[in-house]
Amino acid sequence: MAVLVTNPFATRFTRPGRIEPLDVTGSPVDVDALLDRLRGLLGTAAIVGPHGSGKSTLLTHLAAALERRGERVRRARLHSWWDVPKAWTAIRDSTAGDTVCIDSWECLGVTARSVLRLAARVSGCGLLVTSHRGTGMPELIRCGTSASLLRSIVRSLPGHACWHGQLIHETDIEAAFALHCGNLRESLYELYDRFEACASSIRAGVDAGPDGGDGSDGVCDGIQQFVDGFSYAGAPERNLG
Amino acid sequence: MRLPRFFSKKRGHRRTGSREWGVFGDGLFHGTLLLAGLFFGALLVSGVAAPEWRINHAFLESRCTILAKGLARTTVADPPAAVITTWRPCLRVRYVANGSVHESWSDGPSTENTPDREAALRRLAAWTLGSEATCWYDPAAPQTVVLQRGYNWWLWLLSLLLPGALVLVGGSGLVRGLRSWGKSEEHRAASAGFSELLDPLAQPTLAAPGYPAVPVWDDLVNSPGTILRYRLPIESPENWTLVGFGLFALLWNAVLVVLAVGAGLDLLGGRIDWWLFALLVPFLGVGIGGVIMFIRSLVFATAVGPTQLEIADHPLLPGRQYDVLLAQGGTGTIRSLALSLELEEQATFRQGTDTRTEQAVVWKQSVAVFHEVNAAPHSRFEARAVVEIPPGAMHSFTSSHNAVRWRLVVRGTPDRWPEFSRIFPVVVFPPDAEAKEASPRPAGNGEASRSREVSR
Amino acid sequence: MTKAMDSGSAMPRVDMQFDRPHRQHEPHDQISVRYRIEGCEGEHIRAIEHSVLWYTEGKGEEDLGVHFFQRLTDRALLPSATATGAFTTPLPQSPLSYEGVIVKVRWCVRVRLFFEGSRDFVSEHVFTLGRIPPAQLVSSRT
Repeated sequence: MAVLVTNPFATRFTRPGRIEPLDVTGSPVDVDALLDRLRGLLGTAAIVGPHGSGKSTLLTHLAAALERRGERVRRARLHSWWDVPKAWTAIRDSTAGDTVCIDSWECLGVTARSVLRLAARVSGCGLLVTSHRGTGMPELIRCGTSASLLRSIVRSLPGHACWHGQLIHETDIEAAFALHCGNLRESLYELYDRFEACASSIRAGVDAGPDGGDGSDGVCDGIQQFVDGFSYAGAPERNLG
Repeated sequence: MRLPRFFSKKRGHRRTGSREWGVFGDGLFHGTLLLAGLFFGALLVSGVAAPEWRINHAFLESRCTILAKGLARTTVADPPAAVITTWRPCLRVRYVANGSVHESWSDGPSTENTPDREAALRRLAAWTLGSEATCWYDPAAPQTVVLQRGYNWWLWLLSLLLPGALVLVGGSGLVRGLRSWGKSEEHRAASAGFSELLDPLAQPTLAAPGYPAVPVWDDLVNSPGTILRYRLPIESPENWTLVGFGLFALLWNAVLVVLAVGAGLDLLGGRIDWWLFALLVPFLGVGIGGVIMFIRSLVFATAVGPTQLEIADHPLLPGRQYDVLLAQGGTGTIRSLALSLELEEQATFRQGTDTRTEQAVVWKQSVAVFHEVNAAPHSRFEARAVVEIPPGAMHSFTSSHNAVRWRLVVRGTPDRWPEFSRIFPVVVFPPDAEAKEASPRPAGNGEASRSREVSR
Repeated sequence: MTKAMDSGSAMPRVDMQFDRPHRQHEPHDQISVRYRIEGCEGEHIRAIEHSVLWYTEGKGEEDLGVHFFQRLTDRALLPSATATGAFTTPLPQSPLSYEGVIVKVRWCVRVRLFFEGSRDFVSEHVFTLGRIPPAQLVSSRT
């Protein structure tokens, strides 16, 4: 029987919103403090940082926190200039006091950004955006990356106690971070590959099926046979693990 | 009935709450689009389509006498400091409507408005004073009369295009939201058949009937081979490279020509735009480079010649062997020509502006290698080989963002040209399946046709 | 062993038993599962969903396909907080479970409990369909 080894670096565990937001030192971000700062900036600000620095993750958590506070949030994820209507619609449909969260604000040109900012001002809604570079909007937080941050992220992945030190070592984490020049997303992909390469030796000739075949027990050595959990609002496609 | 919880409580990493508010917000958004589409559509229909429809259906016919001709002038402001004047031909006619005699200036469609006064006058010349003509009047307002009827279909299409799009997007999103209201992820996926039609952003994947997530193979068997049963289509990156270079060269040089013509005209007029000339120099360099790259790719594609691969049967099954025929055209010598069978995984992830697609070859086996292959324009190289799909092989798999694909790859090393690789995708079924062709096979080359059923 | 996310608070638990040793199934097999719900004392379950589905895991976006789905809302059919449930369904020909390198195809059984207040709890149990050996990387490109 094929042994099922769940790679903790798979996208189901590392996509935006799955990982708690952490700052550059690897400590949890004080989401409430950020929201208070956002209020001080009159609800319009930008999360700035390079590729793979956790901007989308932070934006997802801030949006969820705003909703928990009872505020209305509209979300738009942009991939190119063609998504201008998406951003426009989100702003147009907002009312005073709402917050429009837009991922990848830098996709839009200068003109589109100016028009959308004006539209947001007219409608009285706030704008919280992510961008790779300065946007002319107040900066809520500047995301950066570090090896410590990557280590903290890795520590938060499922089954860490089982595979860390066996399949993935500290040297792997540092090497991945250095290889990809601080891009956390690419570093996690790199660690995925390394984990996969090591796990192939586990699969060969190892039978880790549950005793008695009743399927109710998993084995804590990086092999996940089943998981339980509550689902939650805004959960990504799979809310377990 | 308890309302969905608006706030949520935190429990460790988990939060309890409901997604109903999210669906509600989504429904509100799409509902707004739908209403906007209906509103604008109603405006356009009442302003454009409805009057036209009334003219063609509700107006009553009569005979009229043309008493006078004239031009109706419309003047609109054209900022910053100009006006636009348009002219429309119209006729004063006398006719009988509802038992009374009326005299009125005829109404014409707004499409007859023209800024060219002479053209409007020429249209008037087609009518003769004192002559009789057929007219149609509005029974509710007899003073309204027209001398021409018909439909401007393009105006209808244009008028309804934008509202139609809003209605479609808004309506489908609203229905999708209502269908998914209160449903779990599995429930939504289980009822995905109709929902997929409503989701314009979904990427439907075509699956073989009876074999979920196994791709269809219709496109791979619609070309009969000359010797073996099927000729496999090619999925070659070289073709896309050639098309890409061609398009780039065409578009870039088109822009270059426009700029050059403009600069030339300025020069002839005694003006020299130094900035434009400075821009032209690098543009010219890039344009020439694009043309060279395109020609080089074209020469390479034609010099190396086409590669064809025929196979005895399709789709394929694990544990079985299949005859293949490799044919290579072109001219010159190919130092080595290698045919291999590969299994490739593909995964796509989209985040922000990044769409990341990664491919990984997870299995590869050499089928045949040929050395010093000589091809001539009228005599292509041909060779047979046997491909075996390993027993227990993973079948072909496709979903919206992930795929497991089998393919036959021909790699060649020509004598005077760069290496090339040509890919021929194939579909492998799960083990113990009897492959069934998707469409009737054409009888080919004297081989008796036979059919195989898919066993369930 | 349940992977408890918050050991401090009481969590429901769904113990599931498969009818095949090592949860290894073949295409066209009948899969039968029995489950027992625990830890829901004081909670009222207003609905239960049973599903058998496949999903992808790896470096790409997750895709899923539901093969079997059943929703129980009839109070007479709902198990009590500590009762058991069972369901069975034939398995399809494809897709087979696949342990690839960047794409994995997994089959699982899910039982989703819906509580009052729009809260729901899901228990997912993986099983294997088919006997495809794991893949190993030969080469990759992005």
